[in-house]
Amino acid sequence: MLGMSRREMLKSASCGFGYLAMSALCGKNTLAGGSSAIHDLNARSPQLPARAKRVIFLCMSGGPAQLDTFDFKPQTGKKKHAGSAFKFAQHGESGLWISELLPETAKHADKLCVLNGMHADITNHAQSFLQLHTGDRLRPRPSLGSWVLYGLGTENQNVPGFISLYPSKPSVYSSALLPPVYEGTPIGLNTTNMSTATINNVKSDHIPAAVKRRQLDFVQAMNREHAIRRPDDVRLDAVIQSMELGFRMQMAAPELLDLNQETKSTLERYRVGQGKTVGTCKNSDFGRQCLLARRFAEAGVRFIEVNHGSWDQHSNHRADLTANCESTDAPIAALLEDLEQRGLLDETLVVWGGEFGRPGLVPEAKKDGTGHNARGFTFWMAGGGIKRGLAYGKTDPTGARAIEGKVHFRDLHATILHQLGLQHDKLTFHQGEREFRLTGTEGGKVVHDIIA
Amino acid sequence: MRNKITLTFAACWFLAISFYPLEPAWSAKKPARKSAQTKMDPKQRAFFENKIRPVLVKKCYSCHSSKSEELGGKLRMDTRDGMRVGGESGPAFVEGRPNESLLIQALRYDDLEMPPDEPLPEAVITDFVTWVKMGVPDPRMDHPLIAIKPTEEGATSKPELWSFQPVRNPELPAVQDQSWSYDPLDRFILSRIEAAELAPTHDASPARLVRRLYHDLIGLPPTAEQVEAFLSDYQRRQQQAVTHLVDELLASPHFGERWGRHWLDVARYGESNGNDGLGRNPTFPHAWRYRDYVIQALNNDVPYDRFLTEQIAGDLLAADAPEERDRLLVATGFLAIGSKPAKAMNVNFDMDVVNDQINVVSTTVMGLSVACARCHDHKHDPIPTADYYAMAGIFLSTETMWGYAANQPLTAPETPLHILKSKHHYVPSLDSGAKPNVDKHTLSRKKKPKNIYPAGTPLAMGVREKKKLVDCKINIKGESKKLGPSVPRGFLSACNISQTPKIDAKQSGRLQLAQWLISADHPQTSRVMVNRIWMHLFGQALVRTPDDFGVYGERPTHPELLDHLATHFRTEGWSMKQLIRKIVLSHTYQLSSFCDELILDADPENKLLCRHNRRRLDAESLRDSILAANGQLNREPGLGSSIANVDEMVNKAGNLHLPHQHRSIYLCLLRHSEPPELSAFDLPDSTKPVGKRNETTLPTQSLFLINSDFLVEQSQLFAKDILSNPKLDDTGRVHLVYRRALNRAPESSELERALALIQDVDNALKTEISQDEIRRITVWATLCQALLNTNEFRYVD
Repeated sequence: MLGMSRREMLKSASCGFGYLAMSALCGKNTLAGGSSAIHDLNARSPQLPARAKRVIFLCMSGGPAQLDTFDFKPQTGKKKHAGSAFKFAQHGESGLWISELLPETAKHADKLCVLNGMHADITNHAQSFLQLHTGDRLRPRPSLGSWVLYGLGTENQNVPGFISLYPSKPSVYSSALLPPVYEGTPIGLNTTNMSTATINNVKSDHIPAAVKRRQLDFVQAMNREHAIRRPDDVRLDAVIQSMELGFRMQMAAPELLDLNQETKSTLERYRVGQGKTVGTCKNSDFGRQCLLARRFAEAGVRFIEVNHGSWDQHSNHRADLTANCESTDAPIAALLEDLEQRGLLDETLVVWGGEFGRPGLVPEAKKDGTGHNARGFTFWMAGGGIKRGLAYGKTDPTGARAIEGKVHFRDLHATILHQLGLQHDKLTFHQGEREFRLTGTEGGKVVHDIIA
Repeated sequence: MRNKITLTFAACWFLAISFYPLEPAWSAKKPARKSAQTKMDPKQRAFFENKIRPVLVKKCYSCHSSKSEELGGKLRMDTRDGMRVGGESGPAFVEGRPNESLLIQALRYDDLEMPPDEPLPEAVITDFVTWVKMGVPDPRMDHPLIAIKPTEEGATSKPELWSFQPVRNPELPAVQDQSWSYDPLDRFILSRIEAAELAPTHDASPARLVRRLYHDLIGLPPTAEQVEAFLSDYQRRQQQAVTHLVDELLASPHFGERWGRHWLDVARYGESNGNDGLGRNPTFPHAWRYRDYVIQALNNDVPYDRFLTEQIAGDLLAADAPEERDRLLVATGFLAIGSKPAKAMNVNFDMDVVNDQINVVSTTVMGLSVACARCHDHKHDPIPTADYYAMAGIFLSTETMWGYAANQPLTAPETPLHILKSKHHYVPSLDSGAKPNVDKHTLSRKKKPKNIYPAGTPLAMGVREKKKLVDCKINIKGESKKLGPSVPRGFLSACNISQTPKIDAKQSGRLQLAQWLISADHPQTSRVMVNRIWMHLFGQALVRTPDDFGVYGERPTHPELLDHLATHFRTEGWSMKQLIRKIVLSHTYQLSSFCDELILDADPENKLLCRHNRRRLDAESLRDSILAANGQLNREPGLGSSIANVDEMVNKAGNLHLPHQHRSIYLCLLRHSEPPELSAFDLPDSTKPVGKRNETTLPTQSLFLINSDFLVEQSQLFAKDILSNPKLDDTGRVHLVYRRALNRAPESSELERALALIQDVDNALKTEISQDEIRRITVWATLCQALLNTNEFRYVD
């Protein structure tokens, strides 16, 4: 391959750009396909100037009701029609319309870029959720976070580069056909108690940390002697380094997960441990998730997904929606506040949304349940080089259909990658004679109108 | 409607003109199409080449070919099938009926007007009418494999893709050092090394060779006693000792467990469906029978041609006893254990199942990704869409039996299973295995299965003939709702097979598919398998993309050697054991993995094989080696599976893994929920064939080694075993740990270091663990775990 030895390839990979991602981004056909190239998590510079270094995706599963959160649809005539069932007001200098259910988030209106013209293909949860995460609505494919890790590696090798908090499905963090090194690390998989959730094998109390260190020193001494006699084999050095990384991760990751260092007021602002289960709204300890997300962002984690659900209010729309908003409103506000205060918001792209939206209620009608609507719904973004205080795109007067500034998941993906300095059509993985990419064969369009 | 189409056509034409001059249009090389079509009459061929093709190229291709800026009316005229399938207005012609053919109407400017700028001369139109009357004979393949300029005299042909050329039996190359070779294959290696003005490195030391042979042939490390026995035998009779050991290992029942696992990688073996895309993952409670079939077949050295036939068409083979009948039915599990995308909202589900079957057969056996041709002609390889649907017809005429699927009709509809009739089957008792923790909600939704089998009935996944046999229609762009013409069941047209088996109307064609694959002159089957075997013995294959022998796969580093081995394999009765024996008894295999700088600098990637490749233990070998070192390994086959009585969704059922001490191949291989003892170390993605596993080095692997329950527990057991001999002092114990883990004695500095570790850890734990006995175990477990974590333990020279 390019006449490089494995040694040289590793070297070039470790001092900048991963060999594989490089050849993929340059559009070269890697002869051997993806699997035989070297894969690592070393940070590599993006191909385009990047506006964001990392992503925090606030995944609101179940289909958040856009008409009662960010897409204000007042009644327009004598005849009552579907629209917003809760009160809205304009907020900030931008005058963004935000529902009364989100008073804390509303204080950050001027940080948000609300995408009211989102649309997707299917109104089934599972398929649309899969499409939101992987671009494909049928087959397990690499998730957005895995693509990002594949393209950029990660900055801090002591913690995983892609963390998924409280994921509901493997599609959220699965690397699928990408090599497993790009798989997300789930924290809180299949558990309800986020306060004890941790990374697999990161902790074990079988011996104290100092003894583990002593033991590892012994292993490494043997490994070094073994490697010195085999100077041609770079893998052996890689293992020695990786053992140290693992050991440090063992220290760093639990430290990051330990919120004891946070002040009481911070814990309160994030509402840590205050989650409740009300109807469809599950206790995801969303405050803890958001605070962890901030800590991971500070530690240089490349892609962080935070999960809450379900926003699927087929009945008790008003009460359950209120609970979902209450569970997430203050934590999100605290996250935005802290990121801004730490100067991280400019380099962190925060994305909020779910697999689709919902049709509106007729405000005065008794009916209190909503179905699914993929033809028009809302996402928002903040930070990461996105315009602030902008409402982009529009649905029709009943909020049923996106009519202006339409953004498909593919476009959303292309835009997220673009902000990270990655070109969606160049970030490809060669496998089984095919070039795979996040935006699929149809491709997406970067939404340039929302880029600051 | 018509007007609109004309406009589109015209616009395209305009576009094309405005970009004129275009690249010269290229035409396709004539494919070998013996199987699906009758051979073309030479006169008709001449007519096409002289009268028709030049006009198509000159007048039509600019808008209606793969080179078109925008495809006019979605009609392709640069391929035979393109015209046959047609565009937005339908097929371009009706064979034999010019007056009903759109193509002729358009040329006559009858409603449609083509070419749009001016009509063709009357004489040319008459040629086209004649052509349609002839039945539209057209030699063009679907995709131009190797583009060649159309010339009046006929095309100058470039060589075909190497892997489609017949396997030759090359003469042994001349070498300077006549005495070096142990086996003829060595001469192919040596001649290349000599040509590069290098020399092979020295031989592996017997101690390293014995470890290599044990790992490669049976996947287990030798015990210290086995090492010593070999070393003394080797001293006595050198190569004869090697031969003796090799024969012993090939006869070991552990051989099938090692090499069976290699086959399961390419058979995409899994014990659950895997995530269906919607998060559902039903178990396959009977898949383990196929696993056992594979192990047994490898141990019995079932010839590879027979092995393939059994898996593709076992149900159609004659069997003289119920045991044999059952064995053959289980073999067809190969086609049924695939991972399926959800049935929900998926009109293409049936074709997804077929696609998996085409994929596993073509990738695993032929090293070709035929599955690309589902939606379009293969972009690089000579595999037109029509070939895909020829094979699809075979599997569409086959009933795939995966069973109850945890009663998840949204994932897959329930199917029957094979009922095994002979008396000797192991049937796990109902109270054995995992107990799924399924919530009441899930249970209450369960409907009774349609196929109810009495408890204790041995069942197997597999396939059988469908009652209604069909040819498959082309699914345009892979969509089952957009159907093109039907394609007779058949095989790849680009493979030149002298006697293509005929599929008659009363058979699915699976048996013929197997016969076709194992034909003496099949260009890929033997090459692909010898390449896989070579890879498992050298760490690198001769074709370094073992699953891709296509245009974008790598070329063989030693093409003559590959053919030599392939020929040998086939002519010696397709015996996998004999091929492995031949290779490991070669001088090349027995080289050291150590070499001097000269070789390293000249050939850093070791393409010439001047030395052996050092290899890391894979997930299974690592676990098995740990259990072998600490004495916990149960060398008996594991029976059944922890999920043999569990028909549930893995994602709802809680933990279904039950730890045991049998070899790793017997752990429950749930897709997307792999056994925790193995999952850190690059298990294959069992949803598709994986010839070569990834080899990543990750901190999560380090965490597994440092902290996992498995390592901690096994190290404790190791320590207990070491401490159980009261006669040993600490020095004796260190010696024993080294001997068990690394098959050698510690050097004196190592002994000191180990004793220092014991001392330090003991001191550190004094306050932590006050009970001496318990502390002693933990202290020694720390040393045991350390040795199990070293690279020396985890890599084989």
